[in-house]
Amino acid sequence: MQERETKFKRIVKDYWLIILTGLAVGAAAVILSALGNPKNMGFCIACFLRDGAGALGFHSAAVVQYVRPEIIGLVLGSMIIAMIGREWRPMGGSSPMTRFLLGVIVMIGALIFLGCPLRMVIRLGGGDLNALVGLLGFIAGILIGIVPLKLGFSLKRAYKQSRIEGLVFPVMLIALALIAIFGGGYLNNSVEGPGSQRANFFVALLISAGVGALCQRSRLCMAGGMRDAVMFKDFRLISGFIAIIVAVLAGNLIVNGSLSFGFENQPVAHTDGIFNFLGMTLVGWGSVLLGGCPLRQLILAGEGNSDSAITVTGFVTGAAVAHNFGLASSANGIGGGPVLIVVLASFAALILISVFNIAKGGK
Amino acid sequence: MNRYIATFYTHLSAITTLRSLEKVGIEAALGPVPRRLSSSCGVCLRFEAQEPPLNLLDEDYEGLYLCEGQEYRPIVRQE
Repeated sequence: MQERETKFKRIVKDYWLIILTGLAVGAAAVILSALGNPKNMGFCIACFLRDGAGALGFHSAAVVQYVRPEIIGLVLGSMIIAMIGREWRPMGGSSPMTRFLLGVIVMIGALIFLGCPLRMVIRLGGGDLNALVGLLGFIAGILIGIVPLKLGFSLKRAYKQSRIEGLVFPVMLIALALIAIFGGGYLNNSVEGPGSQRANFFVALLISAGVGALCQRSRLCMAGGMRDAVMFKDFRLISGFIAIIVAVLAGNLIVNGSLSFGFENQPVAHTDGIFNFLGMTLVGWGSVLLGGCPLRQLILAGEGNSDSAITVTGFVTGAAVAHNFGLASSANGIGGGPVLIVVLASFAALILISVFNIAKGGK
Repeated sequence: MNRYIATFYTHLSAITTLRSLEKVGIEAALGPVPRRLSSSCGVCLRFEAQEPPLNLLDEDYEGLYLCEGQEYRPIVRQE
């Protein structure tokens, strides 16, 4: 009896923070959508970085241009709590260019699917079954990515960097926030489409900072959750993933009074199953090689990790490429550009990156 | 026997150390790094040994800790 009680206490101790974080992320997503963000897109790292790229004129898709405060809030929330917890450690130098390219590939995959792994989970909680196809692709990508990991894949270690190096990325985001607040006229701003649907800037910034802090404390990661569950039968991180779905399901029921399960007419989603699957396979595989999903890269960048900051710049570049070359999907379906060719080229790049970074003789 | 946890900068470094430990008959298990030891989401090795096997750690190790109940006492760390 006492042993069972101890075991229960240990489970609570191990899981409470990650589950709380998952519930908070899910609740925040529903609240941000209710306050104006696009439906089933309260949070989406890929979409929001893409919107930011559009605001800066890196692409010209007029319906997705806006400096999303959620990105800034997540990074700053992570940075502040990491500094308070003495975990703010500027690190970098782990194959930055390879990480940049992986960032580009992950973003292209995410924009073919229409969402990062976090939005995939939020879409699932909203009843969008296309996200279930995406989830299968994501799992497939993670399973593929685990193979090189087991064979000795490594992007080499990161080293301690200067405080300035760790601060550059967050300070750039603070500058971007100031430009958005005081000089918004210099930025592109969507007047229609998803980019025009937005919660109040300051409310979104505050909510996201809270979420960023929780994510830093709990290490919530969509890709890491799958990896730990498959490789180590450790279900801590993945329990956060499930908590997000539960919170979004409950939140949508409370806010909308109903859930619309199905494939057709889902918000900012398309029904091309093959490309939903392949897009998220790219994201899963790339995320395992990077050591974390796009959300996790933002949180690590907040902790001072310049490799993750470089990866985020890869995401932004990938977003610009995806929109400038017709690779990004829309609610009407996949883009009009050479989507299949780029998907195949991206898989080829992932194979080469995986194979050529496997250390000979295990080291 | 003492219980130890070793943390690493890379997944590969953990696997390499795992092989070195196994060669001398020390059974080790790979797993996620305990949150209290690191905010990173890398992997660690848990194993039992009489003495801390410092010479068997791969060069990219981050730290070696002695487990004392619920506490982790650092034996060696490198930046």
